Amino acid sequence: MTSPISGILPVGVSAVTGVAGSTNADAVTSTSNGDGFASILASSLDQLQSVQKTADGLGVQAATGDLRDVTDYLIASNEAKLTTEMVVTIKNQAVAAFNEIMRMPI
Amino acid sequence: MALFGTLGIAGSGLIANRKWLDAVSDNISNINTVRRTDEDAFQERFVVAQAVDYGSGTGGVRVARAEFGSAEGRMVYEPNHPLADAEGYVKYPDIDLGDQMTQMMIAQRAYQANLAIVERSTNMYQAALQLGRG
Repeated sequence: MTSPISGILPVGVSAVTGVAGSTNADAVTSTSNGDGFASILASSLDQLQSVQKTADGLGVQAATGDLRDVTDYLIASNEAKLTTEMVVTIKNQAVAAFNEIMRMPI
Repeated sequence: MALFGTLGIAGSGLIANRKWLDAVSDNISNINTVRRTDEDAFQERFVVAQAVDYGSGTGGVRVARAEFGSAEGRMVYEPNHPLADAEGYVKYPDIDLGDQMTQMMIAQRAYQANLAIVERSTNMYQAALQLGRG
């Protein structure tokens, strides 16, 4: 009897949720009816931090050779890039709104 | 559902298809593995894919388990082989190379399709973020 290859060991969805599950869309929607824009910005910054942390961890694993799957890192870094763009866009909108108010004639 | 859910789902497809390719490469690499007739032949590897229910919060696919093919193998008459039995037979695994190559092509194309989804959905999300740049 030969030993089964390690590549086809059954894996759970933890590899996927480790990337995708770290973001929490509920946090954004639930705050929108409360404190409004400021809390959306704050929660998306928190989200950005956790997504970038995941991507960084996988990047370290890729460098040390511990990475189980190349696509894990690819997906995580892609998601980190997109989340960064999203947060920057939200930030720009906040600054634009502030400037708009500052330009208001008194 | 995660904010950029498509990426995670396509990523699960990439992982499942890579595991399928692992199984195919294992089958092909052992296609000429000879055993004694009183031993089990090399068993063909199959991966069993399982859908992750979309309603549970995360979609996609995962490899539930590995299945193994017949251990009977096929008997080949090779009397000069060092592993041959008294009648001159050895046991080869019952794997069809053409079948494995077909599976390899299907898995490779599915892998590419999932990668295309990652690329397209990234572009899609970026296009959505362009709304905020106006």
